[in-house]
Amino acid sequence: MSSGQKKRNFQIEAFKHKVVVDPKYAEKTWKVLEHAIHEIYNHNASGLSFEELYRNAYNMVLHKYGEKLYSGLVSTMTFHLQTMSKSIEAAHGGSFLEELNSKWSDHNKALQMIRDILMYMDRTFIPSTHKTPVHELGLNLWRDNVVHSDKIQTRLLNTIFELILKERTGEVINRGLMRNIIKMLMDLGASVYQEDFEKPFLDVSADFYRVESQEFLECSDCGDYLKKAERRLNEEIERVSHYLDVKSEAKITNVVEKEMIANHMLGLVHMENSGLVKMLLDDKFEDLGRMYNLFRRVPNGLSTIRDVMTSHIRDTGKQLVTDPEKSKNPVEFVECLLEKRDKYDKIISLAFGNDKTFQNALNSSFEYFINLNPRSPEYISLFVDDKLRKGLKGVKEEDIELILDKVMMLFRYLQEKDVFEKYYKQHLAKRLLSGKTVSDDAERSLIVKLKTECGYQFTSKLEGMFTDMKTSQDTMQGFYATYGAELANGPTLVVQVLTTGSWPTQTSVTCNLPSEMLALCEKFRSYYLGTHTGRRLSWQTNMGTADLRATFGNGQKYELDVSTYQMCVLMLFNGADSLSYREIEQATEIPSSDLKRCLQSLACVKGKNVLRKEPMSKDIAEDDEFSVNDKFTSKLRKVKIGTVVAQKESEPEKQETRQRVEEDRKPQIEAAVVRIMKSRRVLDHNNIIAEVTKQLQSRFLANPGEIKKRIESLIERDFLERDNADRRLYRYLA
Amino acid sequence: MKKEDTVMLISAEGFEFVIDRKAAMVSQTIRNMLTGGFLETEHGKVNFPEISTTILEKICQYFHWSLQYASLWMYVMMQGMWGAWYPVALI
Repeated sequence: MSSGQKKRNFQIEAFKHKVVVDPKYAEKTWKVLEHAIHEIYNHNASGLSFEELYRNAYNMVLHKYGEKLYSGLVSTMTFHLQTMSKSIEAAHGGSFLEELNSKWSDHNKALQMIRDILMYMDRTFIPSTHKTPVHELGLNLWRDNVVHSDKIQTRLLNTIFELILKERTGEVINRGLMRNIIKMLMDLGASVYQEDFEKPFLDVSADFYRVESQEFLECSDCGDYLKKAERRLNEEIERVSHYLDVKSEAKITNVVEKEMIANHMLGLVHMENSGLVKMLLDDKFEDLGRMYNLFRRVPNGLSTIRDVMTSHIRDTGKQLVTDPEKSKNPVEFVECLLEKRDKYDKIISLAFGNDKTFQNALNSSFEYFINLNPRSPEYISLFVDDKLRKGLKGVKEEDIELILDKVMMLFRYLQEKDVFEKYYKQHLAKRLLSGKTVSDDAERSLIVKLKTECGYQFTSKLEGMFTDMKTSQDTMQGFYATYGAELANGPTLVVQVLTTGSWPTQTSVTCNLPSEMLALCEKFRSYYLGTHTGRRLSWQTNMGTADLRATFGNGQKYELDVSTYQMCVLMLFNGADSLSYREIEQATEIPSSDLKRCLQSLACVKGKNVLRKEPMSKDIAEDDEFSVNDKFTSKLRKVKIGTVVAQKESEPEKQETRQRVEEDRKPQIEAAVVRIMKSRRVLDHNNIIAEVTKQLQSRFLANPGEIKKRIESLIERDFLERDNADRRLYRYLA
Repeated sequence: MKKEDTVMLISAEGFEFVIDRKAAMVSQTIRNMLTGGFLETEHGKVNFPEISTTILEKICQYFHWSLQYASLWMYVMMQGMWGAWYPVALI
């Protein structure tokens, strides 16, 4: 080997064997291996030398006898498997599965050993000839000779199903054995598991649950049925975790859900005396929660619950709202609504997991039935009025906020928010003027909430009312500072100056004040106009109150809290002992309906009858005579006779308010139309209606007919014009 | 070294090589021999009637080299990453 300058490729040559000439060589070698396989299946492997067997197999493959080795392997293994198969078939009853399991375990051990000694063939001969590798071959032969053998296949399936049925009826079975058997099927390949076991299993289970669900339905009520269904579902999940393939869980739960729940959804929900409606009425949170969780698993389950709940709420809500009994007392009416809302809030949060879709269904139902009663806005305002007058006395601040928030919630459902505004203004005015509000903070808090909800425009007038009250206080201070000394001996005057735009409109009335008051009032008027030029004051005698100190004939002294009208009437009796109705009417010039009511409250109410009436009838006639009741007594020093409490409106009053609301809506509609047309320039009829309705949605539901009328009116006044070509098109005129 | 930790590999000429069990296990085939439930498993001895002594010696050396440098590679890697020597369990 000279090398040095020459480069040489380094070669590694394969280890050369002696070339074997013996023709019977292959047969001899194979016999050794065949014998070994037998011994392995007979549990005698420990007497065999691995090295020798490995070497023999290696040599066979090397000398191109791989085919013989492979086919020999197939036939030998098949022979043993058939023997095993017979032994399994011969097993009786209970030991069938055990025998199968034990033979499977033996086969696996043998297969592993065989594969190890035939490793060389597995790695070289088999891939190049695309034959099945040894391990897989072993599984396939097992499958074909044992699992798919006629006598075993059906028996195996039936045995498994028998055991599962036993377990479903409450017996305990050998789960370990089941696990091994099922694992065997899984090891044989996904198609074996699915075709041979899973599909029939699902079918058998479906039948089982179909029958069971019928039985359950016949003997249980809804709540019990759901409990049973839930239990079965959990059982199946547990079964899968113990001895089935994890992938089967979804499939078997689908079967249970379909058979036990989906097929009977409507029946369960509408079950008499125990279905969804009863559960809702009785606040059965646990049952409702269970129903929610079970129905969630099936398609359309939740929407079924939701629909039934919605129609139930709408029906009971409609009943509540149109019940004439409930409508008699507005405070009670609203409290019932709040109660209902609380009830369903609780149900949704405890049983339905705060599901947003259910929350929305609840809201839409409330919106639907609250607006069925046109007096709802008025009643809600009355409820608030009651609370702010006395209902919140002694209630903690957080609780006040809670109640106001609840009121706001009901307010949001109203479609006619402008009606609410009108009533609220009226009631607020009465509260402020009579000084009867329990907490100033609570009032302001509610105004803030309304502002947040509806914008500044909604509450600007209300805030104006508060401002007027404050300003009036300051004005009074100024007035008495200037004239304090002069007026010390006369009656005390307290004036509230109300800005006309902010307060509810009142028609001006006539009323002759007693002379003592007249002078004082004029003095105030000149004082005020002195500091505020360009304004006009008019006394609202129908809204005032007075405190009178009265001495009766029996020597009793009382302080009377009366309205201005009542004061005018009573003061007349300083100068006369007895007066007829006609005389009183002449002297005071109070409108007759008000005067009649005023006199009734002074003379006909038990405990407050400071006047005596002849005759003693309830009604006031023109010739009735009135005189001071000298025998008047009362337990209290201060007697309240005023009648300024906010009440549910009478029919005519209601009509009047409704009319005013309609009148107010007209300019709002017009403003919206003009706004829209100004930005769009040209728009067709349907679109205008849609846009206007949308813009006004937060205040009230606009009537398309009314909108049309307003558009006509605007056309007349040259704000808009109709297009010449298309009659449905409108154009904005600058 | 305990008896359980070693195996004996016997060459065609009858030389007995006693090596670490872990070293022998580098070969998948020997591993199968020793854990298969055959004759060899019981005694921990493997006969190689067709492998000469010199070859078998080389093979044993290879086993040890493989173990050492497999773990050395791990050592080197470990030092590189964390800058410290970490005792590594031999794979």
